[in-house]
Amino acid sequence: MDRELDAAGSGIFEPGETIGMPIGKVGVWWFLASEIMVFGGLIGTFILFRIAHGGWADEAAHVNWRLGATNTFVLLTSSCTMIMALSAARTGRRERTAHFLLATVLLGLTFLGIKGIEYTREISEGFTPASGMFWSFYFLLTGLHGIHVIAGIIINATLYVAAIRGTLWSGHHEERLEFAGLYWHFVDVVWIFLFPLLYLS
Amino acid sequence: MTPGRPRLRRTNPTPTATETGIQMNIAIAPHHQAETSFIRRYIFSTDHKVIGKQYMLLSLTMAIIGGFTAYLIRWQLAWPETDIPGWGAIGPDNYNAIITMHGTVMVFFVAMPFLLGAFGNYLIPLMIGARDMAFPRLNMMSFWTIFVAAAVLTVSMFVPGGPAAAGWTAYTPLSDNPIYTGVTWGQNLWLLALALEFASFLMGGINFLTTTLNMRAPGMTLWRLPLFVWLEVTAAVVFLLSVGPLVAGALMLLADRTLGTGFFRPDRGGDPLLWEHLFWFFGHPEVYVVALPGFGIMLEVLPVFARKPIFGYRTMVWSTVAAGALSFVVWAHHMFVSGMDPRLATPFSVTTILISVPFAILVFCMIATVWGGSISFTTPMLFALGGLASFIVGGVTGIFLGSATTDIFLHGTYFVVAHFHYTLFPVTFFGGFAGLYYWYPKMFGRMMNETLGKIHFWLTFVFFNAVFIPLFAVGLRGNPRRIYEMSSYNFLAPVQHLHVIATIATIGLLVGQFAVVVNFAWSMARGKKAAANPWHAATLEWATDSPPPHENFEHVPVVYRDAYEYSVPGEANDWIAQTEPAIGHLSHVAAD
Amino acid sequence: MTTADNHDREYIMIWVWLVALLVTGTLIFMLPISKTAAIALIFGIAAVKAILVLRDYMHLKSERMLVYAIAAVPLVLAIGFALVLIPDIIFRR
Repeated sequence: MDRELDAAGSGIFEPGETIGMPIGKVGVWWFLASEIMVFGGLIGTFILFRIAHGGWADEAAHVNWRLGATNTFVLLTSSCTMIMALSAARTGRRERTAHFLLATVLLGLTFLGIKGIEYTREISEGFTPASGMFWSFYFLLTGLHGIHVIAGIIINATLYVAAIRGTLWSGHHEERLEFAGLYWHFVDVVWIFLFPLLYLS
Repeated sequence: MTPGRPRLRRTNPTPTATETGIQMNIAIAPHHQAETSFIRRYIFSTDHKVIGKQYMLLSLTMAIIGGFTAYLIRWQLAWPETDIPGWGAIGPDNYNAIITMHGTVMVFFVAMPFLLGAFGNYLIPLMIGARDMAFPRLNMMSFWTIFVAAAVLTVSMFVPGGPAAAGWTAYTPLSDNPIYTGVTWGQNLWLLALALEFASFLMGGINFLTTTLNMRAPGMTLWRLPLFVWLEVTAAVVFLLSVGPLVAGALMLLADRTLGTGFFRPDRGGDPLLWEHLFWFFGHPEVYVVALPGFGIMLEVLPVFARKPIFGYRTMVWSTVAAGALSFVVWAHHMFVSGMDPRLATPFSVTTILISVPFAILVFCMIATVWGGSISFTTPMLFALGGLASFIVGGVTGIFLGSATTDIFLHGTYFVVAHFHYTLFPVTFFGGFAGLYYWYPKMFGRMMNETLGKIHFWLTFVFFNAVFIPLFAVGLRGNPRRIYEMSSYNFLAPVQHLHVIATIATIGLLVGQFAVVVNFAWSMARGKKAAANPWHAATLEWATDSPPPHENFEHVPVVYRDAYEYSVPGEANDWIAQTEPAIGHLSHVAAD
Repeated sequence: MTTADNHDREYIMIWVWLVALLVTGTLIFMLPISKTAAIALIFGIAAVKAILVLRDYMHLKSERMLVYAIAAVPLVLAIGFALVLIPDIIFRR
């Protein structure tokens, strides 16, 4: 019906026309902006406390930097597979898209697995969130990040299922891949800062 | 086939849909309402108009709790030895819980859903000429999230230990360590309710921004937007950017209470002041998130009932943006006597005094808008003017509080209480009611009763002032806030009668609200049927039926004019709709 | 198709850089430099990694001003917030 009105020149526009880009992308970036404020607030507070209380070098010595570095590698690689999935989708290579999405999901699960190993080890050594300020921050920062990773895995898994079922390709749905990618890369960027903050300092 | 309306050239380049791979937003195409069930149409609707009304219903319901708690507080303060009729006795713990509920409910579950959720959702698409918001399903989710949040908060009032009792500001370690308040579940549920409320407005805020950027009708440039839209969008941006640190803080507080961490507990190595910083970094912009939409409503009502264009439209836009930006750097004026580093006092005093400038500009432009106009004192106009006048009192008294030196004496007294009620109440209730009376015909297709409306206004205005002017007086005398009775303070005994006056006025104020409740309900069924544009206003929401059809407009309007063309010299009518082709514009010639 | 291949190669190159930076960063504390310098270097490297992801994976280099602004403003705000708190949290008492 709108098509007829459009032909009659009533001026009905299509979404995205006014600002010249998919409006969903603006929406996702605004969401990321609010997330930057959440993590920024938490990370900023952590940095301030750490400096104010003498660096917490003793406590920080108990985190396993090798596992942390491995996890960073895992997440960086998953960012790469995510962008490769998007690139494949944009060039119509559907199977490749699905493969790279699966890779991203598996890498995300690997990240969680390694984190789980770390937590188990730390808690069994007696370091819980109640073990002092460093550990409070450590568990809250990585825990909040981990929740975001879980959400990202769910989103990517949903897209993977849509990709192999074929529903991803109807009606411009592949732009959802770009939005999911933006979110996933953001989760990666947060970890890029958490890693040195918690493991290398 | 009608002659083609000219396709106005937009200021941004317009790639075709296929080039940018844009998904067709199904809200643009009118979908067939006949097939949807009652549940889909009225409960889980994605129609922004339905969602707006849902927000309105939620906020007005929560206002009952907010108003009732006000009654409890005021009765207790006037006659502390007596039992409160309809409730019973109040001791110090219940009192703290009641004031906490009052503040939390009023700010987060009345003011925000009423001004942003109800009016913002209902009006933004209409005012910009869109068929719905950019993300209708996200919009629906945002309402149901705040619904759950309100339910959680209500439930928290009945759990063992009672509801949160650390004030709406939840200062630590009072809120952190259960031994101080005796509250266990209540405070945790409070945190959960707030987190859900934040999520709800984050979702809504993203919708406001993207819709206004992207869904405007042809010809609706940013400078032709009604100021209401500018203010709502600014509020949404300010909220989006300010809430993050408090989300972080709330997680930290919850962790302190449940996981044994010690972020805010000195006995565990934490810093209680950190909470105050995190809270007020959000808390101060938050009050502007509430104030700006209230102003936005007044700015729609004033020109219509003065038959005069807005004075200083662009100035007000820049002032709004400036106020929004400055709101991020004033927060520590809530903390002058908290024990924070005194070196922060001067910079924050400076920024706080500075932020009064854009607000003053807004106020002066509003006055100039009605100055010399042909004013009709209808109910919406009375509320808008009354709100403006009352807000000036609130704004000016803020200056005393913003300067660290005077704040040292006034902090924590009733002066503060009176100040923020003189800012929040005018914008929320006077502004909100102005909006209600103004847009009720559009929303419900009926006119409200004008006599009842005027009675409602006068009762509200007189009693509101009668409640809070005495509170300035007792505050200046040093009456502390958040105490359940003043018998320990002999120097306050001579002014106890002021508390009695304030309480009697509160009862009058609350009783006066029945006028609008009755009016609202009665007019819905028996009010005179409303025309499309009963107020002869120029903005786009009046260019369609009352109430608008499901897709808002039969044909998406084309906009030729600014939003406030009233009493244009040389014109036959005293108003011109935004959709009226401009003089000399040849309607059959394409602009490109 | 060739344009798509070029992009893919770019993305993999970025990944290589990211991993190289990661390895470098973890080896920094083996260098004979002061702790402050080491910390500065580590965070500098982290910043470069973040910029690479933002610029090339999140396509900020080809997005309009609006998106840049949406990403930059909260960053400035968050950093500003932490900076303002320095006198109070670090140097109080």
